[in-house]
Amino acid sequence: MNVFHFMLENHDEVVELMLEHLWLVGLSTMLAVLIGVPLGILIAHRSRLSSPVLASANIIQTIPSLALFGFLLPVSWLGERADRLAIVALTLYALLPIIRGTYTGIRKVDPAVLEAGRGMGLTNSQLLFQVELPLASGVILSGIRVALVISIGLATIAAAIGAGGLGELIFRGLAMVDDQVILAGAIPAALLALSADTIMGWLERRLQPR
Amino acid sequence: MNRASIIMLHSRLRILALVGVAALQLSCSTPRRDRVVIGSKNFTESFILGELMAQEIEARTRLQVERRFYLAGTYICHQAMLAGRIDLYPEYTGTALTAILKEPASGDREQVYQLVKRAYERRFGLTLGPAFGFNDTFAMEIRGEDARRLNIKTLSQASAFAPRWRAGFGYEFMERPDGYRGLAAAYGLHFAEPPRTMDLGLLARSLKNHQIDLAAGNTTDGFIPALDLFVLDDDKHYFPPYEAVPVVREQTLQRHPEISQVLAELGGTVHDDEMQHLNYEVDSLHRDVKEVVRDFLSKKGLITSAEARP
Amino acid sequence: MQEAAAAPAPASAPVIEFREVSYGVDGAEILSGLNLQVRAAETLLLLGRSGSGKTTTLKLVNHLLSPTAGEVLVRGVPNAKSDVIRLRRSIGYVIQDAGLFPHFNVERNIGLIPRIEGWPEERIQARVRELMQMVGLAPEMRARYPHQLSGGQRQRVGVARALAADPEILLMDEPFGALDPLTRDELQREFLLLQQRLRKTVIFVTHDLREALRLGTRVALMEAGRLVTALAPIEFLQSPNPLAAAYVKAFGGDLESLARRGSS
Repeated sequence: MNVFHFMLENHDEVVELMLEHLWLVGLSTMLAVLIGVPLGILIAHRSRLSSPVLASANIIQTIPSLALFGFLLPVSWLGERADRLAIVALTLYALLPIIRGTYTGIRKVDPAVLEAGRGMGLTNSQLLFQVELPLASGVILSGIRVALVISIGLATIAAAIGAGGLGELIFRGLAMVDDQVILAGAIPAALLALSADTIMGWLERRLQPR
Repeated sequence: MNRASIIMLHSRLRILALVGVAALQLSCSTPRRDRVVIGSKNFTESFILGELMAQEIEARTRLQVERRFYLAGTYICHQAMLAGRIDLYPEYTGTALTAILKEPASGDREQVYQLVKRAYERRFGLTLGPAFGFNDTFAMEIRGEDARRLNIKTLSQASAFAPRWRAGFGYEFMERPDGYRGLAAAYGLHFAEPPRTMDLGLLARSLKNHQIDLAAGNTTDGFIPALDLFVLDDDKHYFPPYEAVPVVREQTLQRHPEISQVLAELGGTVHDDEMQHLNYEVDSLHRDVKEVVRDFLSKKGLITSAEARP
Repeated sequence: MQEAAAAPAPASAPVIEFREVSYGVDGAEILSGLNLQVRAAETLLLLGRSGSGKTTTLKLVNHLLSPTAGEVLVRGVPNAKSDVIRLRRSIGYVIQDAGLFPHFNVERNIGLIPRIEGWPEERIQARVRELMQMVGLAPEMRARYPHQLSGGQRQRVGVARALAADPEILLMDEPFGALDPLTRDELQREFLLLQQRLRKTVIFVTHDLREALRLGTRVALMEAGRLVTALAPIEFLQSPNPLAAAYVKAFGGDLESLARRGSS
């Protein structure tokens, strides 16, 4: 197929953009986990906070991605470097699935098990790290998985504002009206999403509480 | 099992972090072996300039050139430069001044050029090569026959005839504060009726067909010579300069100093009317950009046909 | 036999004490004015129907709940003043259906507190072996997970887990309630043997008079958040208290032999 020939000839560029794509997605997902998991734990333990937090994350998700990029552009610290902006936007988008996954996973832990643990003299952090999180890990991971797959797709749009990644090939190909170039960006992006989904699915299964 | 799974998660995160850092290093300042990436925006004039630089570098140096044209706009190109995805691209001083540096448009050519160059060097690690030699700014166009018949060459002279004329402008020119409104104020232009807003593509034809008498276009439009249109001189220097310049990463120049020489050779080689002609050949005659540029470079003696790579 | 039931290890002060304890939530009063003392090596059976406050009473001992009035003292120290984690680690807690950690195998479930307390690994392993033997679990069970065990086996693990750090006090909340009658009988018997050997101070919650008479050195009857009466099994059977009498009547015959058998 032509597109593979093209990709082979331009493998430097494709690889460079793919690494950039992974960087955008990887960093933003990691940030979303660092922010979202603790937040999810917090609202799982304090139900009063759950509605406002989940509602806010929900609102962010409903903003169309391109619009969010647009809103953030005028913020000078963000607008200066498109990749910075993209990472902030991607992190925001990844928050809802991760917060919700964490919240649900922890709420689903059998309260009897928690009570037994507390009654036995486990401290709150011991309960969290040795009981709640391990038991919730499957659901938390499924939230991260959703976030990851969404991010890989969204990151292609980030190229529209100059953040790079595989989307750059797609947009360029569109402007040039050249299928090869479009596919050289679209196919790796799709493969990335598929692999991420598969790997995360495997991880989830391994961590299911038996 | 819980501890094991948490440890596994931690180590995976650590690996991801390492991959991420590696990718950042790679994507930020890729040590490209002997390769230079030239970008351009999404319109003919930009392709031509990009191709000009590409062919000259290919002919004069050992460097391999990768072309990444069709980038969607100024901001995209700028970000691509900052991220190191491209090394070099053609920009306009006026655009750099207002869109990137966010300064008010003003000053004469030399002032603007120096301002932009200094600011780019200080803030972005980028620099400007010598200007290509033409100014692509707003052009107030009238029919060539009218210019000759009325013996007018400047906008100041034309303002006397404005009350008898109908004007046609593109949407953006009408809306921008530094567009029609400012121009009318600067030259005291009063037209018989309010100017008509129309699609850019239709302006030239409307002018030719006497539906309008004055239009706003760009100084390097290909159809100016083709349709025998005349560009009135902006004698009050109302429009800011939009000199075409190469923008290049300082790191790239350090690594490949021979590029400076190539850019110096290209400096001042394309005048307004020459650019008009090049645009015309690609847009109206539908010739291939590469061929047009090769012919131009040969004609100018900047490359020999032996040096030109296919 | 009677003597064994009525003579706990000599101790001047009660191990667990409730002084005028009340507990309410959202305006509803669940316990009111509870006064109770539990002496060392006693097996106090809290008997009552659902809603009588017996589980609440239990949870006040290990400070899972805080009284809204009055004081709960363990070993002479009011709970409000003691370190809650140290308190709970010194009390074994067994709940219905065991509440085992589903992601830990038997060995990790039992060894959890010793591990947290930082015992050396060998000591933990030895203790786990010892406890498994004590509660009648075959050694090859140690690597099994809770979902692979029967109800009775799970409950044995629960008891072993509660005893792991060798606490002085044991709290048991209807531990055998979810088991079939045969298994329940087996476990009750084994409990008695264990208690004879270990002589823990036990508070055991049940709604089953038969279980209470069999296992308890004293039976404390609760109703609507109040302590109605607290008597040794034989005395309970003969008690003129109307509620106690109602229970005796409801549970039918052959209670005397239980009352006597339990105390031997």
